[in-house]
Amino acid sequence: MVEERRILYEHLDVPDINTFDVFRQYDGYTRFEKAIAEYQPEEIAQMVLDSGLKGRGGAGFSTGEKWSFVPRDIKPCYLCCNADESEPGTFSNRYVLEKNPHLLIEGILICCYAMGIETTYIYIRGEFTLGKKMLDAAIKEAYEKGYLGKDIRGTGLNVDIYSHPGAGAYICGEETGLIESLEGKRGQPRNKPPFPAVEGVFRKPTVVQNVETLCNLPFIVGNGVEWYTQMGPTYADTRFDPPKPDANTGTKLYCISGDVNEPGVYELDLGLTCTELIEVAGGLRGEEVKAVIPGGSSAPILTHYELDTRLDFTSLTLAKSMLGSGGIIVMNETRNIVDCLLNIMKFYAHESCGQCTPCRWGTPWVRDIVQRIADGNGRKDTITRPKFGVAENGRWGDTGETEEIYEDLDLLESVANNIANVDTMTWNTICVFGIAVSWPAVSYMRKFRPEFEATIREGKLVTLPVAEATVPPEENYAYQQRFVPKEFADL
Amino acid sequence: MALVKLNDLEIEVEDGTNIVEAARQHGIEVPHYCYHPGLSRPANCRMCLVEPYGPIPGAPPGTIGPARQLATGCTTTVRTAPPDRKLDDKYDAIVQTDSPRVKKAREDILEFLLVHHPLDCPVCDQAGECDLQDYSYRHGSDKSRYLEVKNVPPKKDLGPDVLLYSTRCVVCTRCIRFAEEVSGTGELGLINRGSHDEIDIPRSHEGVPLQVLDNKLAGNVVDICPVGALISKDFLFKSRPWFMEKANSVCSGCSVGCNITVEYKADGVYRLKPRFHEDINQHWMCDDGRLGYHYVNSDDRLQLPLKRVDDELMPTHWADALTVIQEQLSEVAAEDIVVIGSAQGTNEDNYVLQQFAHDVLQTTQLGLFGQLPGEEHKFPQFTIEADKNPNTAGARTILGSANGNVVLEDEALWEKVSGAKVVYLVSGAPERPLEDAEKAALENVEFLIVQDILPSEVTQLADVVLPGTTFAEKDGTFTNSTGWVQRIRKTIDPPGEARVDWEITQQLAKQLGGEMNYHFAGEIALAIAENVPDYADTTHQKIGDAGIKLA
Repeated sequence: MVEERRILYEHLDVPDINTFDVFRQYDGYTRFEKAIAEYQPEEIAQMVLDSGLKGRGGAGFSTGEKWSFVPRDIKPCYLCCNADESEPGTFSNRYVLEKNPHLLIEGILICCYAMGIETTYIYIRGEFTLGKKMLDAAIKEAYEKGYLGKDIRGTGLNVDIYSHPGAGAYICGEETGLIESLEGKRGQPRNKPPFPAVEGVFRKPTVVQNVETLCNLPFIVGNGVEWYTQMGPTYADTRFDPPKPDANTGTKLYCISGDVNEPGVYELDLGLTCTELIEVAGGLRGEEVKAVIPGGSSAPILTHYELDTRLDFTSLTLAKSMLGSGGIIVMNETRNIVDCLLNIMKFYAHESCGQCTPCRWGTPWVRDIVQRIADGNGRKDTITRPKFGVAENGRWGDTGETEEIYEDLDLLESVANNIANVDTMTWNTICVFGIAVSWPAVSYMRKFRPEFEATIREGKLVTLPVAEATVPPEENYAYQQRFVPKEFADL
Repeated sequence: MALVKLNDLEIEVEDGTNIVEAARQHGIEVPHYCYHPGLSRPANCRMCLVEPYGPIPGAPPGTIGPARQLATGCTTTVRTAPPDRKLDDKYDAIVQTDSPRVKKAREDILEFLLVHHPLDCPVCDQAGECDLQDYSYRHGSDKSRYLEVKNVPPKKDLGPDVLLYSTRCVVCTRCIRFAEEVSGTGELGLINRGSHDEIDIPRSHEGVPLQVLDNKLAGNVVDICPVGALISKDFLFKSRPWFMEKANSVCSGCSVGCNITVEYKADGVYRLKPRFHEDINQHWMCDDGRLGYHYVNSDDRLQLPLKRVDDELMPTHWADALTVIQEQLSEVAAEDIVVIGSAQGTNEDNYVLQQFAHDVLQTTQLGLFGQLPGEEHKFPQFTIEADKNPNTAGARTILGSANGNVVLEDEALWEKVSGAKVVYLVSGAPERPLEDAEKAALENVEFLIVQDILPSEVTQLADVVLPGTTFAEKDGTFTNSTGWVQRIRKTIDPPGEARVDWEITQQLAKQLGGEMNYHFAGEIALAIAENVPDYADTTHQKIGDAGIKLA
């Protein structure tokens, strides 16, 4: 049985940890004090790079590497804390904000010290009213205690934090959409490049980090890189010579929901398998696992054949899925995948910002196709096409076999791939919202094709038994197309 | 200069040029909707996707191949690369605009653009000049796979001259960016989200407009709309674009001299559209000019010469009118004659007029008449000038060319007029109101010859009225306020017996025994080039469509 390893959440349940005094009792702000006393800013940045910390917001990009892109000679430089946690199935940041906001402030202070940043914006999801209240109170307290503001603790360091509530758009969780929204414009992502590290808030270099990423910083500084890298697997990327370490270090706040007995946020080392995770969350509710969404609703689905997949950034990328925000949704045998896809597509069609053509009109189209299939109006055709082979009379010729064509499934796949192609991982859209739409659409449809076909055939939603709902990996081209570079094959 | 390999071409373009422009310069079309050279580039239509080449990550140095992602041609600029980063040892960029991937992407984007489009081309004003049609024809698919219900957003009245057919809109946001960047008025914005995006003006909750698209540059949004969404009420359902002929010309509305295209049929001018000129109007023109052509088609146009019989202006024929004028002029001394040219007329009209005055009438009393100054309007990227005449600068120089540059204007002119016996006034500005002093001065004149296009306050005082022509009915040149000499071209025939102004003057000169024998405007331009010092280069051939800036 795997044990939780609570680091970020260690003191989450301590009463009044949201107040400065209690937080201080539990080592609060000592890590920041250690940082400014013992390290130069560049050393902190190097520590973060060495720790292998990857951004926890979704993309999983190395935090230290991101910081290295920020030009240090252009001032002002900003830090944007992304607290617009809106991926369906994800709810880890809100507990930090509601219960332990000082931890976030400490992380921000360390980041600001490392990068020479004086202004931080926390873009907080509009629906987090309690989180905003707690955060604002904590910020106020930190100002009073002299941990924010001008000349912090007599070190000459100036840091100001502004919290800014969003207005309820999913796309404002995308870093450039967030920046646009923060600037007071319509929340629409920008074209990249230039990346925010070079040109972000108010066209100045900006570090955009998720709440969870920033909360890791105090522990990296406090306990050292070595301690941090012990947690989680580090793979070797042999595409480089010598092999480049591919770190999946640290813990992750896994938000487990769906058909488990004890849903909630669990802080665990990276690199556990799906099965282990379900076990941690009190086991499965129901008979068997039908599917697992590993990283928020935009991640491609995993079937029961793939439950041994390790839930870390590298392994899930190789499994053609992603860890994303760590929002894990477990589905048991009673769930209908067509219905699940419809639910997700309704969300994305509603949340598309409408800036670029493929997403604006492709996303509702995908939703409409799935809706039609779910309504029992999916199109199917039985055609007889000459299929050459050894016919009944023993001679070479047309065998007269018929083939069933599911037009709407082909259309669904084609339209979704036209927004963003999941096989080549290219998108025609401005931001990655496009791939967040086509990834679930295509992966659900390919991996659970028998269920989709049955739904079309029967003209109503049909939930097949788990064994029949998906085809074995060796027979399904969704798995076969899985891109596994041979360097990674020994994983 | 950057060396770019564009498809199979090796081209040199200036640093900072984007792929769309670089391709256009070399005759390759990269389709686009949201990109407009005069506006910012949001790259939201995704139509201009191209395939850039670059080093392949992980491959041995020097290997290049297509980039993983297609890039938007409008935001991808080419620059001279440092020597160690050249591709294939010499290119600064390698771009494919017609690879299978690019073609596929274009087809896909077009499919998306058309899913909610009503396909009402038969009744759409834009049909025939629509980017959606053109690109569908060239790059699109031949069938539709969309079975669902289409969005039907409402038709909207945005302002005095602009209608929005929201169903046809592709949300390229060119109009929004125009209102923000060029006119600076910002009336337009997006409402709703996702597939329900709509262009709109600010409205109250009840839908009452709080601001309308009524700035003086509003008409440009119709031009830049790549589809038939924004429609000019003035042109709505007037004509199919392909039935109209086009001529490059210059707007006669003010002294900016915006380059325009006059679109016309045999029965009149149908619309004016701006034409790109980098130094004068860029891509734009104002609504005053755009909608100011209606007088050309007016039913009230003067079609026959008029002469005063028993205190009433009666139609007559040219021979009669000219004879009457000849009788009057031959009896008057040169110092009692004032000849007034028009700032609305071309350089050629005014040159013939001053030649007539000097050589035939032998008077040096030349004046200049024209539209009264209006108001100047300044926009962030455009200015409408106060001088409402297209050719004040030109007329002044040309009229004064043989006269020591003395041209009478304003008070000096009216003083001279009130003491004159015969005045030959070329107007061309029929809407100009006359002040009391001006009216009194003209009433004092014994014999007033007026050459105009419409009945006006001046023609009411005239003894003989000669029907002249508008800018749309003659060839010639205008000189704008910044010294650009540009050509206007004849589009439609003058109504009735009306004649080109310089022809009338020449006819009059011949009647009076003068020696003048021009056959076409270009011939006069040659004479101008010979005799007017500043205009030495301004032959019609040299001016062409681009114009010539005077030294």
